[in-house]
Amino acid sequence: MFEHLPTKRRNILRWLLAGGITAFIAPFAYAIGKFLAFQGAFAGSKTAKLSAAELTPDSPSKLVEIEGEPVIVVREGDNSIRAFTATCTHLGCIVSFKPQIPGFYCKCHSGKYDVNGVNVPGTRPKSPLTELVVNQQADDLEVSLTPKNSAA
Amino acid sequence: MTLIDHLHLREPYDAILAKVVPRHRSSIWYYMGGLALFLFCLQIVTGVLLLFYYQPTPEAAHQSVEMLIAKAPFGGVIRSLHSWSANALIAVVFLHMFSTFFMKSYRSPRQIVWLTGIVLLLLMLGFCFTGYLLPWDSTAYFATRIGTEIPKAIPFFGDAISGLLRGSKNVTGATLTRLFGLHVAVLPLIAVLVVAAHVTMTALLGSAMPPGTVAKGKTRFIPQYVLGESIVWLIGFALLLIVAVLHPWELGPAYDLTKPTEPPAGVHPEWYFMFLYQSLKYIPEWAAVVFYTLVFIFWTLVPWLDRRAGTNRKSPLFTWCGIAAILGMIALTTLAYISVADEQAKAEKTVESP
Repeated sequence: MFEHLPTKRRNILRWLLAGGITAFIAPFAYAIGKFLAFQGAFAGSKTAKLSAAELTPDSPSKLVEIEGEPVIVVREGDNSIRAFTATCTHLGCIVSFKPQIPGFYCKCHSGKYDVNGVNVPGTRPKSPLTELVVNQQADDLEVSLTPKNSAA
Repeated sequence: MTLIDHLHLREPYDAILAKVVPRHRSSIWYYMGGLALFLFCLQIVTGVLLLFYYQPTPEAAHQSVEMLIAKAPFGGVIRSLHSWSANALIAVVFLHMFSTFFMKSYRSPRQIVWLTGIVLLLLMLGFCFTGYLLPWDSTAYFATRIGTEIPKAIPFFGDAISGLLRGSKNVTGATLTRLFGLHVAVLPLIAVLVVAAHVTMTALLGSAMPPGTVAKGKTRFIPQYVLGESIVWLIGFALLLIVAVLHPWELGPAYDLTKPTEPPAGVHPEWYFMFLYQSLKYIPEWAAVVFYTLVFIFWTLVPWLDRRAGTNRKSPLFTWCGIAAILGMIALTTLAYISVADEQAKAEKTVESP
């Protein structure tokens, strides 16, 4: 574009032009990046409410949704009610509760976790499910995405 | 061997580098086409961004737009930019059309460029019409009710066209889905192809000069003309950003299909449809359809009707037709806004003293 100018001035002008275009585009790229990175479009419910009576010996677990996350609430053998994130830590499928393991099972790649949500060695998951806080008032259960460990 | 040779693009590449644009007293109008192209690209970019958050159902549409404006970073600006630049695009397209009309650029060998331009005008108005309903506020709802009712005046096919647009007897969720599909898939696909044809033909044929005009010189297309054009784009973009930030495009209250209400007072179409809207007050719908169809056919066939310009002579008759068209549109639009203001004033009075 600047062929009629001496090489040095030509290069300076080229750098100025390229720099100017970059400086112009950068803020728009930033704005578009921020816009696309936003994840609040789907809100979902902050907590899940259910009744302890829904968890019977025949069907001791229930899947609920909290902020778009699948959560499994389970009545375990000792009658304690606990909640875990239900997203398999292997490749993101949703686990179910199997009393016969006893523990959690993921259909997709036969992943297993024990009753404490700890992944069974030798199966595909390499990390445990996260246990969540369950607030129990008589029969009413309220679960949120608060991990039990951090709350303790 | 360079990549250009490898792709057999040497000829068009050299042609673009060698391209020149004539310079004369009316050459400033050449910028309008490029500006329209820029605004079209801006529509695509902002439109795709909106598409990432918009939900095309009557239950979710309004809420998703509200969410986008209130919560998504820069969402309000992007949405405002889309609406404002759509209006700017229509304005620039009209300026572009009338400037090429008065410069007689439609004459041989550029008839097809004019024809594709006419198709693009229809497509752009189609974008406006189909996009208008998407936020699902009450103005949008009533405007679309009216807009999809008017085609019923077309002889023989009227009801079918209205039905095709609505996808149901009334304006419902089915209409929203249809207009959404047209707005984001069908129209863009056609428009991109026609824009490509329009621009390529202009590039190949070069810029026309009005009959009898003497060129003062030539501007090299690359880089001088492109740089000049980019200044126009940047000014246009800056103005749009200022307007979009300072005057966000309005979003009315959501329309609830299950609770039918009266339209807001003085409901009226956007400014570019106002002259048509006002015409309907003077003549019956069928007459308006016939009249504007004839005008449209005349307008489309101008390159073949204007034989004097075809042989590079001045054609004042067609210039006067263009002036008459502009004056008519301005007069009808002005009258339309006066009557809308009257209706709104009346509505306020009845509210005050029932």
